Amino acid sequence: MIRNFVRVVLATFATVLIFTGPVAATPAKEAPWLPEAAAYRLTLFLGNLEPLPWNEVETAWTEPYSGSEFSSGALDWLDHESDVEPDALLNAIMRKDRQEVFAETTRLIALRIEEELDRALAAEEPAAAQQAVRTARELYRSFEDGVAAADPEAARRLGLAWLELNSSTGSAGVLGAGATSADRDTMVAARSVISTYLAGNYLIDDFAPRRTLSALPETAVLRSRTVEVPPSLPPGSDIFDQDPLPLLVLNFEEQGIEETELPLVAYGDMLFDSAQIFGSPAQNLGIACSTCHNRSDVNQRLFIPGASHQPGAIDVDGAFFNPIFNDRRDDPLDIPSLRGLRFTGPYGRDGRFASLRDFTRNVIVNEFGGTEPTPFMLDALVAYMLEFDFLPNSMLTTNGRLTNAGPVAAQRGEAIFNRPFAGLDDRSCASCHVPGANFLDRQAHDIGSVAPAYEGARTGAMDTPTLLGTAYTAPYFHDGSLPTLAAVVDWFDETKSLGLSEAERADLTAYLETVGAADEPYEAFDTENTAFRLAFSELTTFASTLDTLLPRRDAEHILLLTDTVAADLSADASTMSNLTARPDVYALAERLAEVGAAVRDEDWAAAEASWTAFKSEADAIEERAF
Amino acid sequence: MAIHLNRRTVLILGGASAVTLATPLAAQDDRLRLAFIPQENPEKLLGDIEAITGWLASEIGVRVEGFVTIDHAAAVEALRNRDADISFMGALPFVLAEAEIGAVPLLSEVYRDAPSYTGRIFVRRDSGISSLADLRGRNIAFADPISESGYLYPLAEFVEAGLIESPGEAEAFFGRVFFAGGYQQAMQAMAEGLVDAAGASQYADLLLTPAQQAEVIWIAESEPIPSHLVIARPGLGADLQDRFVDAMLRLNAPENRDKLRYLYGPDGYVRADSTAYDGVREMARRYGLLG
Repeated sequence: MIRNFVRVVLATFATVLIFTGPVAATPAKEAPWLPEAAAYRLTLFLGNLEPLPWNEVETAWTEPYSGSEFSSGALDWLDHESDVEPDALLNAIMRKDRQEVFAETTRLIALRIEEELDRALAAEEPAAAQQAVRTARELYRSFEDGVAAADPEAARRLGLAWLELNSSTGSAGVLGAGATSADRDTMVAARSVISTYLAGNYLIDDFAPRRTLSALPETAVLRSRTVEVPPSLPPGSDIFDQDPLPLLVLNFEEQGIEETELPLVAYGDMLFDSAQIFGSPAQNLGIACSTCHNRSDVNQRLFIPGASHQPGAIDVDGAFFNPIFNDRRDDPLDIPSLRGLRFTGPYGRDGRFASLRDFTRNVIVNEFGGTEPTPFMLDALVAYMLEFDFLPNSMLTTNGRLTNAGPVAAQRGEAIFNRPFAGLDDRSCASCHVPGANFLDRQAHDIGSVAPAYEGARTGAMDTPTLLGTAYTAPYFHDGSLPTLAAVVDWFDETKSLGLSEAERADLTAYLETVGAADEPYEAFDTENTAFRLAFSELTTFASTLDTLLPRRDAEHILLLTDTVAADLSADASTMSNLTARPDVYALAERLAEVGAAVRDEDWAAAEASWTAFKSEADAIEERAF
Repeated sequence: MAIHLNRRTVLILGGASAVTLATPLAAQDDRLRLAFIPQENPEKLLGDIEAITGWLASEIGVRVEGFVTIDHAAAVEALRNRDADISFMGALPFVLAEAEIGAVPLLSEVYRDAPSYTGRIFVRRDSGISSLADLRGRNIAFADPISESGYLYPLAEFVEAGLIESPGEAEAFFGRVFFAGGYQQAMQAMAEGLVDAAGASQYADLLLTPAQQAEVIWIAESEPIPSHLVIARPGLGADLQDRFVDAMLRLNAPENRDKLRYLYGPDGYVRADSTAYDGVREMARRYGLLG
């Protein structure tokens, strides 16, 4: 089975995404945030990290957020668009006064909403009024999840007020046709509902102290009732899959063995894509193993402000994912590829875990705050990950020598790669990146790439990484500090005094690029082999483990599966190109949810019946929809 | 009517070298001026315009300039004043512009293999609403009062079903009729339970989150609506017009398809068939928008 996890939803969603119940690992792309709204949301997010990254808080206001469609940062934007002064906020940031930063930034957004509402009411033409209402509404989005979590009735009242306001601005029509005039009284009344709420909750002089910074309305905080805003990622976050999508090479698949015949592996594959095995916030946000290591490769675009210093890097022992595991060190790591995992131990960038099973448990329980996995879950995950193979590369022999297909420059580079250098203690590149051992030596070496953590520290040794597949995994080194393989060659030449000429550097780079290449690095899609079709095949394969689990009456693992796969199946339907078949897929997801519901009721006969129906309906969809 | 640019757009345009303000200049044969209508972020649109006008200039062999108008009305006004030669346009504004200033249809957008789409009435799956008649006395959100798929066509389904005598009588059937400002806002209002139904494009449910999409169904669908198009001002030189159309049709070629994302993201273009818009003309008359 060819497998795929393209899960990019093309539409954009203007709402702050709130996740409840079983969460699909299908991220939803949000509509762009206005610069000051983005800065506000980033400030709240960063303000909850310990230690608080004040530089990043400042940057949130001075620079456009990552991926912003606006070229200016919030302060420049405000300078052009608004009369609201940010001075008090900037002073609070300078003084590193967390509570005051919260108060000032909250008031700033509320004032901006008021400013746009004033403009809407003052506008002489409907188009201008509509634009002002639209802007005000987009700014209100900053508070929306807080209001919804704390006070659903107010959220509804405000939602209707925004509808009233927009409806009453009138319309210019087209060339006068269909023009309607504004309904001023309704506009004023609707605006009053919004302004009254802002005044009582976001535009106040003294906010109660906040232990956690959030968009919760002040009245909810004062009631001292425990209200939690569902976790959300700040603007600029990117947890989408790679594009193009890396090819996944699974050992059993290359040998013609179906995954449905390997239930432990299939269950591990499901767990690899399940956010349910992690704790909050990862679980709520749909973050799974595959979010960082999709297709066994590196997700080079993954970025979470405050946790990533650049795309493709993440600090998994920081304040965000599991506060109890917070090491209070700002040390994000470049995400490593998992290709050829059974050959690349020990695990972790510094090789701190000899056992893949121990490493995996640490990821689940400590890094991402999940509950203790069962032995079956760990067995399944390990069984699946041990199937990850390297990308085939016809320019390399099995013992790591270049074939004649390799470029001439690479052939020259191969000799340099194997040449001993005084600067390497008379060893060669190949001494550690052993060609006959998948270009690694399973040892940790301190090559000087890590700044000492303290005087006298001996903490700079890093596990030798393989060079296979590296043409597609830039940037390089544990912290992703070197952007290209050429930069890696330069780094060694300069820091180890290798004395390479320019031509030799180019040849050595060509060799690395050849070793790191692949015959087919990416998944190929066409009108038949669509992203959804492959995701559908994968999800139904996951479900096939019910053939093993139901007879064993293994309720715990069945429920983990049905919760994960039913939610994913339903969410992935939104990526279907065959829109008319979507209701069938929703029905199929419900059928799987019925299996889970029956198991929860300990009605095993009903569970079996729903599972049988699922298989038959999945086959029918496979025939009809594709 | 002058071209109205809001403060934001003027500021952005002021800082952009590749796009221009719509200052009145005499039309010339050695350049084309394209009017664009913002959908979301006007600043992003400016970047898109820079990319597509550069490509068009190299294909056509004349200077191509783009500028952003505040809405369809301003774009039509620019065509009338010869401040713009070409504009991107919705079907309804086109038929009005055709009647008013003699605008000429050049190209129609293609989505999912068709130069047409539909409007639908969406409801929440758990609402118990299964027919248009069930919406009597209930609240509905439409996108905009001059939107084809987000108002005119979906509302016409109620007329067709005999529930509403004429489009002007909608208030008597529904509890409340809201104009939410766009497809997404109308759909979100419905999905969140602020209203009972939404009238929007057939693809509007894709604007909801994946979880919301699973909770939404549609209960009525309009007749096909011809898609948005690209139109020209009357009197634009035939040679220049032909070269523009040919260049735009080359966007359908696999090697050029990536550039479609700079143009509101259609799947491609076909030559416009004016008769395909007869239904829109009829609809405009029914709503009293066209004489």
